[in-house]
Amino acid sequence: MNLLVLMIALPLLTAFLLSSINRLSTFAARVIGPLVLLATAAIGLSVWPQLSAAPQAIQWGGFQAPLGITLYADQFALLFALAMTIGTLLLWPRSTENQLRSSSLALLLAGTGSGLALSGDLFNIYVFYELMTVVSYGLIASRGTSGSFASTLRYLVISGFGAALALAGIALVYQATGTLNLAQLAQLAPEKLNNLQGFAAFVLMLVGFGVKAELFPVNMWVPEVYATASSRVSALLAGVVSKLALLIIMRLLILVFHQPEALTVLLVLGILGVATGELAAWRARDLNRMLAFSSIGQLGVMFIALSIPGNAGIFAALAVMVHHLFLKPSMFLLAERWGGSIKALAGAAKTSPVGAALFVLLSLSLIGVPPLPGFWAKLLVIMPMLALDQPLYYFAAFVILAAASLEANYLFRVVMKLYEKEPAATPHNAHATLDLATAVFLGAGLVASVFMLVPLADRLDGIAVQASDVSTYIQTVAPQPLEAGRVQ
Amino acid sequence: MDILDSNTILYIAAFGLMLIGISGIVISNHLMRIIFGIALLEAGANLLLMLSTYHEGAAAPIIVDGNVPAMMADPVPQALVLTAIVIGVGILALALSLAIRVQRAYGTLDMREVRLKLEQEISADAGIDMPSSSEKPADIAKVPLNSVVQQESGS
Repeated sequence: MNLLVLMIALPLLTAFLLSSINRLSTFAARVIGPLVLLATAAIGLSVWPQLSAAPQAIQWGGFQAPLGITLYADQFALLFALAMTIGTLLLWPRSTENQLRSSSLALLLAGTGSGLALSGDLFNIYVFYELMTVVSYGLIASRGTSGSFASTLRYLVISGFGAALALAGIALVYQATGTLNLAQLAQLAPEKLNNLQGFAAFVLMLVGFGVKAELFPVNMWVPEVYATASSRVSALLAGVVSKLALLIIMRLLILVFHQPEALTVLLVLGILGVATGELAAWRARDLNRMLAFSSIGQLGVMFIALSIPGNAGIFAALAVMVHHLFLKPSMFLLAERWGGSIKALAGAAKTSPVGAALFVLLSLSLIGVPPLPGFWAKLLVIMPMLALDQPLYYFAAFVILAAASLEANYLFRVVMKLYEKEPAATPHNAHATLDLATAVFLGAGLVASVFMLVPLADRLDGIAVQASDVSTYIQTVAPQPLEAGRVQ
Repeated sequence: MDILDSNTILYIAAFGLMLIGISGIVISNHLMRIIFGIALLEAGANLLLMLSTYHEGAAAPIIVDGNVPAMMADPVPQALVLTAIVIGVGILALALSLAIRVQRAYGTLDMREVRLKLEQEISADAGIDMPSSSEKPADIAKVPLNSVVQQESGS
């Protein structure tokens, strides 16, 4: 019944056994990683129908809720655990020298990512988050260039700073409530965390977990890392890992922190993220860094969406997240061979017509041209904001729309270059078949979603409703009422 | 001693360590100092976590011969801090080994220089010229600056 545990355990186990397997057979070591991820994805998909009826809670080791380790699986968590698993499978690292090490790291990333999505207490969230961070250091540095070492180190400094702040935030929460279990926290929060201490804890944890979600003041690492890591790793970090950090922030917001100030903080940081990210992307002159900055902008839109109170905000954020989940990895895959100066891309459409056409499609969806899904995602963010009728939300809507025109400007600049008649002096490499195939697959997902818009929106709305249902969360984790927080 | 009981002192120590760590990361440019700043910040956060349920004189939560101690220490923060310390040490070691790699490649541990050289490397890889750096004044700005200095020293 608790097959879901395997989603975490299988990739982790394989990762640690991989070097032993390699001794026995190098072929087995090469194929077992993707096979395990396939199996893991199949397990996740098989559990999906059960979860759409009711979420499940898993108590590891058989200890009941506030004492034991709780996993909480609803559609929302499983969606991103699956995204992590399938994303790692699609973006499986391909380097010739450190194949074994990269494979282990990729498996670890998949396992810790699924664990992070499914965790039901702050202790495990912290541990999985840290593990995921360390694994991503390894993946970024696995390229082995001096630039990748330097950018990893700079990323590590910011991440270490963030992790310590998150830990301090957890300490403040524990001091006030005496529990780390999210269900029990959800029960105690209105009484014990609806004060300055709770707000301070929220800000600390937001900045801490925001490092990975490319939150405005702690995102200096983004352009450097995405420019120096291999494109597949950048695609994973920008596409999937950033969403997992966002998922944690969403969970905390839904269950624990209900202060109106928390939403204002999110809104302001989101606006700043959109403005700075898109402006920097507009100035960028190489494709990798342009994509990196623009992903800061899009994550900013997600933070703005999160700041909309109630279910509408969660639905909107979910729509933007899923859209970005498909779009950004395929853009980074296209940048694998088109990295470098945008000027040098002149005429590249001749050597790789499919890639260029796909880039046009992705750009249009990113900007939000109807009927592509990007348009509907942005509409879902902007409409409830206008309905709120508050000046700051009007301003945020204005910033998102202005950012869309900036996006159009810099993305079309690339498109114009691609279709320029005069080819550049140096000939372009055509895309590797696998990269292109993966990118086309993700792009096809975007196009397909145009035709399934209504059922898809219903599905996402169902996920959002289930995710924002606090009482079900508490009921599922602890059928009997939990004892009150330990008296200090 | 009424105001400054041991708990208050410990809280001051925890926040102080965090403050020293943060200022070390933000202010200094030497990579070693930044790494030590992270270590201090982590120590502060760990201490804060320990303090969250600290009671003076509490016994370990182990029941021996059926005797339940009057006050027991909460094991959860201790387990969490233990985990955090282990992770912290691992990251510290990783940071130091990366610092060695960076030092070998760029010949410096100054964060500003590392950043500049990283920027140069990325730009060179991408085949674009460096954007004018904000850290170096442009040539035009130098001339009036120098002339002012010369005038002042001359007079």
